[in-house]
Amino acid sequence: MVDTSQPKQHVRDFWPKARRRGIVLTIIMELLVAGILTLALFFSGINVDNIAFAIIIIAGIASSIGINLILAHMLMTPLKDLSAALTHVSGEPSDIIPPNSSAPSRKYDGLEPLIELIYKLSSQDTSSATPVAATEPTTDIVSRALAQTDAGVIICDEAGKVLYASAHAPIGEAADGSPELTMLFESPDTFENWLATARDQQVKSSHTWQRVADKIVGDPDRRIFDVFANYEKGSTAPVVLITVDRSSTYQPEDDQLDFISFAAHELRGPVTVIRGYLDVFREEVESPSMDADERATLLSRLVVSANRLSGYITNILNASRHDRQHLKINLREYTLPQVYAAIADDMSLRASTQNRLLSVQIPSDLPTIAADPSSLTEVLSNLIDNAIKYSNEGGTITVNASVDGEFVRVNVIDQGIGIPANVVSNLFHKFYRSHRSRETVAGTGIGLYISKAIVDGHGGIIEVKSEENKGSTFSFTVPIYATVAEKLTAAAGANDAIIRQGESGWIKNHAKYRG
Amino acid sequence: MPIKTVLIVEDDRFIGEMYVRSMQKAGYDVDWMIDGHDGLVAARNKVYDLLILDIMLPEMRGNEILHELRGGEGDDIPQSRVIVMTNFEQDDASRIAMEHDADAYLIKAEITPRKLLETIEQLDKLPPRA
Repeated sequence: MVDTSQPKQHVRDFWPKARRRGIVLTIIMELLVAGILTLALFFSGINVDNIAFAIIIIAGIASSIGINLILAHMLMTPLKDLSAALTHVSGEPSDIIPPNSSAPSRKYDGLEPLIELIYKLSSQDTSSATPVAATEPTTDIVSRALAQTDAGVIICDEAGKVLYASAHAPIGEAADGSPELTMLFESPDTFENWLATARDQQVKSSHTWQRVADKIVGDPDRRIFDVFANYEKGSTAPVVLITVDRSSTYQPEDDQLDFISFAAHELRGPVTVIRGYLDVFREEVESPSMDADERATLLSRLVVSANRLSGYITNILNASRHDRQHLKINLREYTLPQVYAAIADDMSLRASTQNRLLSVQIPSDLPTIAADPSSLTEVLSNLIDNAIKYSNEGGTITVNASVDGEFVRVNVIDQGIGIPANVVSNLFHKFYRSHRSRETVAGTGIGLYISKAIVDGHGGIIEVKSEENKGSTFSFTVPIYATVAEKLTAAAGANDAIIRQGESGWIKNHAKYRG
Repeated sequence: MPIKTVLIVEDDRFIGEMYVRSMQKAGYDVDWMIDGHDGLVAARNKVYDLLILDIMLPEMRGNEILHELRGGEGDDIPQSRVIVMTNFEQDDASRIAMEHDADAYLIKAEITPRKLLETIEQLDKLPPRA
């Protein structure tokens, strides 16, 4: 009959008990020796009244106890390691650190084969573990539960080969079709390096990586993870990775960085030309070799580049104002030719220096419009600049305008490379780089983004029609002044804003802004 | 063998003309291609001593041209030097790949035509690749 009153014996309890026994026995033995010595002295008749003699005896006993405790500790350490290894493989909960079979001290105590044997014997016993295999999905509740979460679980063997991956785990396929870890760890802190170190030097190891992407920058399906890894030597699941999809946290930060790097690329274009041509001019000053026409051409290019640089900076600043809801549009009565006149020379120069023909056909009898001239010229110059950028040398860019209901519609037409239908709808997004940009010029995407915000602020719409290899027509509308005059006068009187809720944000129409 | 023939693939007219002009003035024999695909064809059709590749190019990026010519197993242009010249900051992976195959990497906005010529002269002083 089993005596149930007796508490269950645990493997983990062996070592504390053994250690206690070791210490107690050592001390008892020492005290026994000291007692026998004292008795012997007492009966021997030697004079022990001398204090110095007594101190020597006591110090001798104390140091003997110390030395023996140290000796006992050294002798018992292998026992400790063995019991720790046994506790580890027993599966009992404990905070004991399992010994490493290949630690340096193993050279002296010779325990390596014993500890390895313990681990080996335990790994052969698979009766209590569920085997995992990629081809054999665990159809149990755990797999289904995992599929409901954003977390992924990947189990690998000691070599890093994937044995099992849950539904949301970021896993790719190797050439032979088998599942493979494809997360992009940054060298040297890679999964492979960690696993190699853990395998060679540790029995148990854990590691965390943050911001690990599964695809390269620019891939639309890119996700970013935090990854938690655990390694346990000899286990049926030696490597367990838990991945948590943190794209929603990391992606905006990455987009911001992306934006900065693309904006820098755009700004650097004109800077390159300005620096380069100034260099050319310095040489020219030192030893003149150009004729007047050549000099004039180079100067025009410098002017165009400086204007372009300033335009890009305005775009970036206004986009930032828009994002912080500080972009304000002050609508007043103007004619479209009046507005265009401010940039006409710059646009003609930009077109001619780049071998494009710019044909501006704005009828003079159009009704007046409600416009913020500096914003509207920004829209026009962005659209014309894009048309130049994405059309072929010698091509024509046409700007025309006509009445469209209560609005004046402005078209900027190029015969350039066009835009595929599937990307057209994304063109006005802030971080969208068109297919053309990705392959060709790295536009920040910000020119169209801010143009849309400005047109929205005018109460108009901006849109694009495009056909690949035929060209694109960007058009926008602005209200005819007469249709909004009353509202504007009222708003100006109240010195307050007409707030227009566009798709991409809002813009306050503020009379005080943009003097 | 000193650098004599140069192929530059650059889609920006202003920038392209600027470099072509200064290289021609310095005595180099320069061909200029605007798009990446034409650049690759040109590089395959003629042996150039030096290739200058922009990254952001129409049709095919400069890094792709370089990869076609020199990536993977073979090196189709064993005797040519390659300068990658861009204003675009690369993510690490592609930059490292590029550094492996290119002989020089320049940020356009940081250099002038004079600096480009100096870089070519420096490449000229290196022992031949093949």
